[in-house]
Amino acid sequence: MINDKNTQKLVDVIQNWARKHSIWVLAYGTGCGAIEIPPTMTSRYDAERLGVRGAATPRQADVLLITGYLTTKTLKRVIRVYEQMQDPKYVIGFGSCTINGGMYYDSYNTIKVLDKYLPVDVYINGCMPRPEAVLAGFGKLQELIAAGKADGAKKYKENLDWYRENQKRIIPNWVMPDYNW
Amino acid sequence: MELILNILGAIATVILAFVVGMTYGGIVRKITARVQNRKGPPWYQNFIDAYKLYSKSTAIHHGWMHRMGPAFLMVTSVVTLMFIPVLNDGGWFENLTFKGDLIFLLYLMVLGALGMALGAGQTGNPNSAIGVTRGLSQMVGFEIPWVMALVALMIQYKTTSITGLMEVQQESGTWLMFSSPFAFIAAVLAMLGMFRYSPFDIVGAPSELASGPVSENGGKYLFTMMSSGSIYAFVKLTLYVDLFMGGADNLIILVVKTFTLYMIPVLYGIVSPRYRTEQAVKFFWGWPLFFGLLAILYAVIF
Amino acid sequence: MQELKQKLTANIKAAYPEIKEKDYPGNRLDFTVDKQYLVSILTYLKESLGYIHLSHIACVDWLEEGEFEVIFILWSPEEKLKVFLRVRVDRENPVMPNVDMIWRQANTYEREMREMFGIQFEGLEAPEEFVLEDWQGPPPMRRDFDTESYANETFFHRPGREDALDVREEIIKRSREEIPDFAKKYSR
Repeated sequence: MINDKNTQKLVDVIQNWARKHSIWVLAYGTGCGAIEIPPTMTSRYDAERLGVRGAATPRQADVLLITGYLTTKTLKRVIRVYEQMQDPKYVIGFGSCTINGGMYYDSYNTIKVLDKYLPVDVYINGCMPRPEAVLAGFGKLQELIAAGKADGAKKYKENLDWYRENQKRIIPNWVMPDYNW
Repeated sequence: MELILNILGAIATVILAFVVGMTYGGIVRKITARVQNRKGPPWYQNFIDAYKLYSKSTAIHHGWMHRMGPAFLMVTSVVTLMFIPVLNDGGWFENLTFKGDLIFLLYLMVLGALGMALGAGQTGNPNSAIGVTRGLSQMVGFEIPWVMALVALMIQYKTTSITGLMEVQQESGTWLMFSSPFAFIAAVLAMLGMFRYSPFDIVGAPSELASGPVSENGGKYLFTMMSSGSIYAFVKLTLYVDLFMGGADNLIILVVKTFTLYMIPVLYGIVSPRYRTEQAVKFFWGWPLFFGLLAILYAVIF
Repeated sequence: MQELKQKLTANIKAAYPEIKEKDYPGNRLDFTVDKQYLVSILTYLKESLGYIHLSHIACVDWLEEGEFEVIFILWSPEEKLKVFLRVRVDRENPVMPNVDMIWRQANTYEREMREMFGIQFEGLEAPEEFVLEDWQGPPPMRRDFDTESYANETFFHRPGREDALDVREEIIKRSREEIPDFAKKYSR
């Protein structure tokens, strides 16, 4: 009785409901978009009523917010942070620099398309996006979780070789531990 | 037959402590939010957090001592819960309270933090090591007025068991809050440090230290620590109510009394900034120590 | 202000006759020196004339003339004058003296110029990398380094949309609002 399809579906529904109502965001501001996170978390545009709160370490966090541009120096550290998070985990790309390079489209040091290095679930547009847009982005992430489609982590595990090849191409000095999950 | 009823009573006590502790956590988050002029999460938010943490997969490999840390904490909380009389006349919740001994409880309450320290030490994370040292040195601060208050009570009524103290309150009709006031004041000032709210929350502060000893725990370990934290909060509150406020006859009165007592550290903590470790220890060796000495003098003379 | 400037010019020209000066309005004064007098004139300005504060060291890339120009900006708190000292270096093999021993903060500026422009400072003791990590290309701030083509080769790009629109015209069309008179000179 425990392993049949209907029970599994019921358990999934309850689990997804719990996961979508308590999202813990890693308090790590990668680029200049991080200045829009304190207004979202404090009193005026309260994000805690959705269950979103800040987490201190990657081991405790659910969501990695890539706020803004990523230089190659930061990308190495962000990959290490991403691989230390526990399943299920999501990545939100914040701002237009994660979509197509944004204002730094001709810079020699920043990456242009984030999707080739880390699996992204939701993009939030803007430079910087306003707190209302950030809350709408969290709402979209909640819809994806409820439908069971937020599987960036699974995509990373299955296509690990492809991601690694892209990452090693722009990071010449690769000293990182193996990914264990 | 009796054995099965006793085991069921123990399980019921643990479930009661878990539910009440988590609800208090959610209500505190709501109160904090309202004080800061915003709407907060719903009151059942801590249950959702706990279930989400339980359903995460764990891929942390640091050795077996690191896995035993949260287990230590949980075991200590549950065992301490067994020794405290929850209601005045037992019933479902009488577990091992006939053996209730105050000195034994004092030793037991420290054991959980030590187990957590051992587990955090094996990870090799410097944040955990610093957090553990700060937590233990803060414990040196608040343990002294707490022990002095309890010793004053033990001297005044010539008994060391909790049930004995509760019987004293029932016979004389007044609560110990009024018949040994200095002990109550010293114990309440020590309570501020025991719950690790602001201003004494430097041990697990997220922005200060990457949350101290908890920093390498995620997923199921964090679920264990959250649950044992709530059970432990319930234990401490019930101990205070039994010692100073006359125990409780049924569950509703227990909930009312513990909630009013819980508001003291919470409401003070919402509006206070954080102390450093040496400032915290200096605070505890100031007025609380003075009140503790007064309590012992009062107990010896009268 | 003008007397202070003239006093300073006379003072320096007496000590270093080959210097060229240029006057600017306000409290700024420019001097162009040769490379071999640099350390001595900086020491003279700092010790004897009271220009104790080094505000900035900048670098200009004169691609057409084939030279780098390094500019030292000094400030005196008593006379409240800014002095700009300009030094020209050859572009093919740029070597400059190290002014570390006069002001300690010059260390950071020299490291930045070594990494971004490729100017070598003799006697500079500092680690090799400054801001960029594992950088193997040419020094990035030189004007003959085309960053856009370098970025196109090294990184992936997202292809544009098929229905890409001109932003300004779209905004004007969609908002359909009247631009006030004082703002008309800024719009098309």
